Amino acid sequence: MTGNPKSFEGFCPKFSKTLGASGLAVVLTPGLAFACALPPSVILTLPTGHYITAAALTVALTALMGVAAHRLPMMEPRLVRERRLLLPGTLVSYLSFLIFLALVFVGLYGERDPMHNLMTLVFWTGVWIVVPLGSMLLGNLWRPLNPWAGPVRIARTLLGRTGGIGLERLGHWPAVAGYAGFVWFQMVSLYPDDPAVLAQVAVAYWGVIFVLAVLEGEDWLSQGEFLTVLFGFIAKVAPIWHETAGKRARLMRGWPGTQVLSMPPLSPSAVVFVSLALAALTFDGLAETFWWQALIGENPLEPTGRSAVMWENTGGLLAVWVLTLGLILGSIILGRRIGGGFQTGPVMLSFLAIAAGYHAAHYLVMLLTAGQYTLAALNDPLMTGDSWLGLPPFFVSFGFLTDPRVMPVIYGLQFAAILGAHLLAVLLGLKLAGQGARPLAHLPMTLLMVGYTVLGLWLLSTARSG
Amino acid sequence: MTRGLLHPTRRGLLMAGGAGFLTAALPGYVGAQAAPIKIGFQLHRTGIGAAYGRWYERTAQAALKAINDAGGIAGRPVEILFEDDATDPKRGSEVVDKLTQSDGCDLVMGTLFSHVVMGSAPRAGELKVPYLVCSEGYHVASGALNRWTLQPGITDVRAQISTMAPWVAANLGKKVTMVFPDYAFGHDHRDFFTAAIQAQGGEVVAQIAVPPTETSFTRYFPQIPAETEVLYHVMVGPAVLTFVKELGEFYGTGAKPALFGFIDSLEAVDTATPGLEFLEGSHFWEAHPRVKAADAGEHEGHYRTAVGVDDNGASVSDAKDVSTYSHMFSTWETLYFIKQAMEASGYSGPGDRQKLVEAMEATTDLPYGIERPQGAKRFNGKTHQVFGSQHISQVQGGRLVKVHTTTIDEGLYEDAVDYTTMSF
Repeated sequence: MTGNPKSFEGFCPKFSKTLGASGLAVVLTPGLAFACALPPSVILTLPTGHYITAAALTVALTALMGVAAHRLPMMEPRLVRERRLLLPGTLVSYLSFLIFLALVFVGLYGERDPMHNLMTLVFWTGVWIVVPLGSMLLGNLWRPLNPWAGPVRIARTLLGRTGGIGLERLGHWPAVAGYAGFVWFQMVSLYPDDPAVLAQVAVAYWGVIFVLAVLEGEDWLSQGEFLTVLFGFIAKVAPIWHETAGKRARLMRGWPGTQVLSMPPLSPSAVVFVSLALAALTFDGLAETFWWQALIGENPLEPTGRSAVMWENTGGLLAVWVLTLGLILGSIILGRRIGGGFQTGPVMLSFLAIAAGYHAAHYLVMLLTAGQYTLAALNDPLMTGDSWLGLPPFFVSFGFLTDPRVMPVIYGLQFAAILGAHLLAVLLGLKLAGQGARPLAHLPMTLLMVGYTVLGLWLLSTARSG
Repeated sequence: MTRGLLHPTRRGLLMAGGAGFLTAALPGYVGAQAAPIKIGFQLHRTGIGAAYGRWYERTAQAALKAINDAGGIAGRPVEILFEDDATDPKRGSEVVDKLTQSDGCDLVMGTLFSHVVMGSAPRAGELKVPYLVCSEGYHVASGALNRWTLQPGITDVRAQISTMAPWVAANLGKKVTMVFPDYAFGHDHRDFFTAAIQAQGGEVVAQIAVPPTETSFTRYFPQIPAETEVLYHVMVGPAVLTFVKELGEFYGTGAKPALFGFIDSLEAVDTATPGLEFLEGSHFWEAHPRVKAADAGEHEGHYRTAVGVDDNGASVSDAKDVSTYSHMFSTWETLYFIKQAMEASGYSGPGDRQKLVEAMEATTDLPYGIERPQGAKRFNGKTHQVFGSQHISQVQGGRLVKVHTTTIDEGLYEDAVDYTTMSF
């Protein structure tokens, strides 16, 4: 009666195939009607095109002025204070490990609703958003909090084990593999929020890393474990940070990015890792856009769910990764050819700023929404009406998502994070390009930065089905 | 102490580690009430349906509390097991499976999105478990599903759309232009309303189908014929604010047709949101008026209090957090329908599932009460679909004010299926 086989097939290829084969497509078409659940977007009514143009010009002008001026701001680390370590890292990490075990237990045996289960909530809002955001401001919070270092140190002490098995020779490749698997789990697989699945995946991953780190030594974590690598990288933009040496801890400060300048050049595997970080954030945004939905034949107003698009999204993720790596390396190589300087390892460090800025901008809204569930669950973890955090009972509330006063502010924060990240990246690129780089050498990278700024802001301002 | 921590001995580490493992492995708590009725809830917690899922869960929790506070079902306490389907049909089917086979639920309910219903209902049929959907799709009454799938808590889109035509023709005009998204949801509106307005002596003078990927609409407005008296719009999605804004710019302050829409466009959105001023004076279909009507029934207030919703349909804790008021009552009413059928059939456990469905099919009149805050209903056991009143509200001062209520009879249509003749 309401059948429109063409649109039906276009939007629901899987159903169409199944039902069409049984001759039921026309009969069932009316069943596939339900209004869209997406809230109207305040952002779509803003003149975002103007903002994006202004941001692109700002990035371009900054690069031009930086090249022309031959003078860049000094970025030196400064000591704030030095004191003894208050808590040994082993103890903090071991406590973190015990909390991890408790979360796994909650994931396996607790509430099935992911928004009431602390395994899902603490991982996706705490570990995945609060820790990196905190690290961008306060330095690497993951270093003390990671649940491996303590247990690994303890296990190696108990086993009397020293030395390694040569994993170090693999560079960052194990972390690349782990991160790629994680990104697929997060963005393509069907069950990233399922508490039990998440707990099983987490405990399996923890076990593999634990064994490898016990064999190789805990220092290997910083090049073989992807969370440690990723959070360690994006914490390098922090304006304050801790440095520990033996039993002493030094609180340092400096302009964002100061730490990046003192890093050794990135190895080829680390370059690939950084490109994956950028590609993952880009694709996570891209996959929700109407543009991508149309490209893979999904109706963005009524997408059929992840199960229908696993191959398309796997392909898209890989394509974006290859494209990201190709464009970055292409810009660096082209710059080197036409103007000298521009060694890949050092220049690639400038992209750490973008990875950090994108992570902050991309997950800000998720923090403000899912974060409420986390607070509610932490406040009353047993769902008995308790108030462990002293918060009054509250309903999780998403009213701000359609508030035309609040959403522009949130967009403004995201805009600032993206623009700030690119300006910092341009600045770092100028410093890291090397003495031999002539002004012309910066042209390809500047164009890439401008393009990336436009893409990042477009992803935040275009119509999305999610 | 500090020295011990900084320089632990092997023995100390072993003891500390062991203690840690023991602490972490302590089970939380075990202990449930004896023989509760377990209802599996297929929840759109994540994915495209999450905005609705949040309110479906909240309403179901409120109904659960009300039912348990009043003694449960046949004296037994009731539990709801919420399981996320990520608004995905494949996971939906798995959720039905898990809730039924692993968790031992007596039945499964709560699904909203039609594609998840379509993906899950066959599995419910195979498992022979009652599957009560809250999706307002025509799929149940159209005959596309099975003996185990019922929709007792919300009317279907065919009834909703058809009942609007008499009032529109009598009050707004008979020459209608329809603007709708070009997919199944829009096509239902196009087909059902076009037929219904013709039956009223009216006509649809233009049907403007907008591709779902469109985010700017200015170029479609010149297609609206000048003779149009009523502009029927059912745009949905993130670009709705843009649609209203551009429509306002198109007509300016000059003459414009009367606007009639479906609240689906603005479900969970404050109608006083800046940018929606052009909708002032226009009319919307609502299943359940979000702003408490002056003549609201005696149970309306109690229902709102139980769910935590104020007189404007927003959360009591955040006036900006507008609920999915025209849909979420379906979970409340479905739970009470389950209670009624279980008590009528003497349901004692999964072995009585067939008896339970037969009791549901035997249900007809469902009078107004706290069990049905949206209004009285009539269940059609043959088509497994419930029928009820619809409402029309006008935007007055940025608020939706109810101006008309249809009768149940206006929404009835000829049966397309008789599920009772199908085998279990």
